[in-house]
Amino acid sequence: MSMKRPLPLVIGHYTMLIVLAVLCVLPILIIFATSLRQQVQIFAEPLNFIFMPTLENYRAVLEEDNLNRYLWNSLFVGIVSTVITLVLGCMAAYGLARFRFPGRQAVAYTTLLLRTVPLAVMAIPVFMIWNQWQLVNSLWGLVLLYVAVNLPFTIWLLYGFVLQVPVELEEAAAIDGCGPIRIFTKVLLPLMAPGLAAASIFTFRIAWNEFILALVLTDRQTRTLPVAASLFITDLGVDWGKVMAIASLIAIPPLIFTFVAARQIISGLTAGAVKG
Amino acid sequence: MQRRDIIKTAAITVFGAGLPFSGAIAQNRFAKYAGSTVVMNIPAHPHYDAMQKLLPEFTKETGIKVEVDKVAISRLKEKQLLEMAKPSGDYDLACYIVMWKGEYVSKNLVHQLEPFFANAALADPAYDMKDIVPIYLENLGLVGGPKGYLAGPGAKLYGLPYGAETSVLAYRKDVFDELKLKVPETYTEFRALLPVLKERSGMGALTSRGQAGHQAVHAWLLHLNPLGGSQACTAWLLHLNPLGGSVFDDQWRPRFNDKIGVDALKFLQEVVATGPAGIAGYGQGEANTAFLQNKAAMYLDTTSFASVVADPARSQVVGKVSWALHPKGVKRASQSGGLGLTIPKNSKNAEAGFLLMQWLTSKQQDKAVTMLGGAPMRNSTLRDVDAVRKYPEFITFVEALKHSNPDWRPIIPVWDKINVQALGVAISEALTGKKSAEDALNGAVPQVTSIMREAGYKI
Amino acid sequence: MRTARWVPFFYVGPAVLLMAAACLYPVLTAFQLAGYEWSMGTPWESAQWVGWDNFRLAFGNERVWSSLWTTLLFAAVCVSAEMALGIALALALEHKVRGMAFFRTLFILPMMIAPIAVGLVWRYMFDAQFGPINAALVMVGLEPKTWLADPTLAFAAIVIADIWQWTPFVFIMMIAALANVDSSVIEASRIDGAGWWQMTFRVKLPMIMHVIAITLMMRLIDAFRVLEVVYVLTFGGPGDSTEILSLHIYKTAFVGQQLGVASAISVLLLVVVALLSWGALRLSNPMKDER
Repeated sequence: MSMKRPLPLVIGHYTMLIVLAVLCVLPILIIFATSLRQQVQIFAEPLNFIFMPTLENYRAVLEEDNLNRYLWNSLFVGIVSTVITLVLGCMAAYGLARFRFPGRQAVAYTTLLLRTVPLAVMAIPVFMIWNQWQLVNSLWGLVLLYVAVNLPFTIWLLYGFVLQVPVELEEAAAIDGCGPIRIFTKVLLPLMAPGLAAASIFTFRIAWNEFILALVLTDRQTRTLPVAASLFITDLGVDWGKVMAIASLIAIPPLIFTFVAARQIISGLTAGAVKG
Repeated sequence: MQRRDIIKTAAITVFGAGLPFSGAIAQNRFAKYAGSTVVMNIPAHPHYDAMQKLLPEFTKETGIKVEVDKVAISRLKEKQLLEMAKPSGDYDLACYIVMWKGEYVSKNLVHQLEPFFANAALADPAYDMKDIVPIYLENLGLVGGPKGYLAGPGAKLYGLPYGAETSVLAYRKDVFDELKLKVPETYTEFRALLPVLKERSGMGALTSRGQAGHQAVHAWLLHLNPLGGSQACTAWLLHLNPLGGSVFDDQWRPRFNDKIGVDALKFLQEVVATGPAGIAGYGQGEANTAFLQNKAAMYLDTTSFASVVADPARSQVVGKVSWALHPKGVKRASQSGGLGLTIPKNSKNAEAGFLLMQWLTSKQQDKAVTMLGGAPMRNSTLRDVDAVRKYPEFITFVEALKHSNPDWRPIIPVWDKINVQALGVAISEALTGKKSAEDALNGAVPQVTSIMREAGYKI
Repeated sequence: MRTARWVPFFYVGPAVLLMAAACLYPVLTAFQLAGYEWSMGTPWESAQWVGWDNFRLAFGNERVWSSLWTTLLFAAVCVSAEMALGIALALALEHKVRGMAFFRTLFILPMMIAPIAVGLVWRYMFDAQFGPINAALVMVGLEPKTWLADPTLAFAAIVIADIWQWTPFVFIMMIAALANVDSSVIEASRIDGAGWWQMTFRVKLPMIMHVIAITLMMRLIDAFRVLEVVYVLTFGGPGDSTEILSLHIYKTAFVGQQLGVASAISVLLLVVVALLSWGALRLSNPMKDER
């Protein structure tokens, strides 16, 4: 029984959507646009959007300013910590969802609370502890931290997805003679694929974007992109072209993920809240 | 005079050990480190901008690569400390502000330099430590002597001056000529000149760091930043010294609220009253800019400013500026301080860092960086014919250095805290008119006393 | 399902161990460090136990209270604006249209971009000399503003950056919630003659109140965790007009070198966030669907 909406309303609707979309996207476009401009131009004509693009900023930043090193570091830390977080997180979500065991409530609630800890609070203790354990200035030290810090959120996210898989399927597999581990790998995981995709995107994004903990734990060799970016702001004569080139590099993976998997991301975000 | 002799003796003793070996060993000095990389932490600062242009030459000569980590000067200490607090850190060479030397040494974060200079395999026989301006060497590099920061028994060398400075008066010759004014030699003349210039020159009299701020209702404006919060205090100290005052007496008890201290603060208040518009909020950058942009007739601050004044890209007053000595109060006492280089203890490549430091501060390179706009740290550079031709103000600088007082500021390890939290706040309150000069200084005494007592001084 | 006793621990164990060691342990350490006086650059062994002194110092420090106030103000302004805008836009645009999926994709871009990149681009945009915002103002004949040098404007800048990044998130949540609303109830209300006002405030909003509450809590908690954007945009300045708690903690620790006092302030922040999180947990108990 849907009424045809009057045309003005439809046009108005689309106009609003377009305006909002432009507002969302404009700063991002500015990042990319500025990164492709020459420094002289940036300073002379901030609003001129017609220009000859140049890759000079990217070249300079990757060759002279060691950004290739930082890019590699970010990729390594991002991918490795995501993989480990997913494996451990998925297992933990499954364990929490399907089994009753002593300490279950405690684990569940602590996990949920840990998710909200501001990272600035962790910076000091982490600085001290990682120095003591000799994990400072090492990529694995950073990976370890990121996994631990991302697990709460990942577990919480995957928990919701696990619940959506009917227990009956697992019970059926058990009757068929599958051991608990095979049930997990052969029955559950395939059905959770969308959830795993969403979780991996979120986890990678957090590890890739993280700043303050990387700031205190890395040196020149292990520095990640966000930290490198922050060092270019010097109060005097900031080279915006280069800064935006780095910002672009930082922005590209999340952008790709967003375009590829928007649906999963949104369902991941809304799952816990809306279904409730 | 006595102080200078002590330094010279120390320098010769330290250095004498390296003299017998030269020639062949000198060539091989760098060989062992060729191919390695030295990482240097520097601020965004004109002197270090000039230095960066010299680095490719170093790599060509020695085969040692240099990577530079440039940071805004307000964030320099934050970055360095973070690195130096780790078991092993990034920096082989770090640029520091003179005020931090006590803290760095007391926290055991930096190397002593004597062992390096005494190491025949590393030391450059042509180095000539005596040529370094003695006041700079003492002020920037020595820790452990009398009072902790002056030359004398117990003083050890922890850093070399690089980007060091003293205070000097720059004035607009054209304005003074036009108004037929005499360059002030004494503080009395200086004081008398302020209202005259303000009225008749169409611009502020003296530009100065004030950083008091119109929002100084809250002390929070002076945030934890050695350069930011302490602007007002530094400006006050500049005048306190020639007028015969000091922060502490010989027993480390605060005496800054005595008559001379109050007088110096009142002078600063007059400066603010007759200064360019907005002076109350000036940090060092703004104070400099005011002079460069024709908004003030006089400038009393650092010599490292000279190259900027002469740079047409940044200065509107090129060719109109003359230089004179910091006016005399009861004595001549210009400030000294600035930047230096040190080797963090947790550096991975300390020897190569030392080689770079030694190279940069050698006669040849000091001249080179000066010609590029950097600040000289050797007497030979200050007297060099080419340098003087390019920067005639060096003649004044040499004279100013003779009167430079290394004790113009008590740079004990807790100085930073006192500077920013206690004195800086008090002085800015006086400058904004919130308190009278007497009340402001008297009000700071309890806090300074308690900071000193906490730090272990028995007062 | 009968399983061996060890099975759940096998699944949950590794994650729990890791979280305990590298996440929970540091958080608890913050509590411990709050009782020590420890200066940055000195070894841990030289730190001195001072008991409650750090808390006394922190709570007696005007700047801490000022920072707390700034953070509360920031959270209040940002969250109310984001919620109001998000809800209003969702109500206006909930009608399904073709291509909505594409728009939704664009809308989640801001929140996916690294906060550091967000900070950088807005820093550029607000730059007094070279930023596009001032250039645009000049173009339409208005005065350019020194955004980042004025306390009020700088605060506005960080708020704008946060609103830009997170309003789309609220919008998406609200749209999803509205889509889930039982259409029969809407129909029934319409048949009953409900006008726009009643429909919105008496029917729709109450039906999505649960999601609103959860989103509100999530945004509130996240507002307290903001750091990167302010770090890059203003670093707390000018003065400390934009020095939110996270940044104040960082500065106390790494600029002021007072690790103990900074930890005490961290404890304060932790308590605030924990209370908010507890509230959020009660609202959206994820273990509600227990069998």
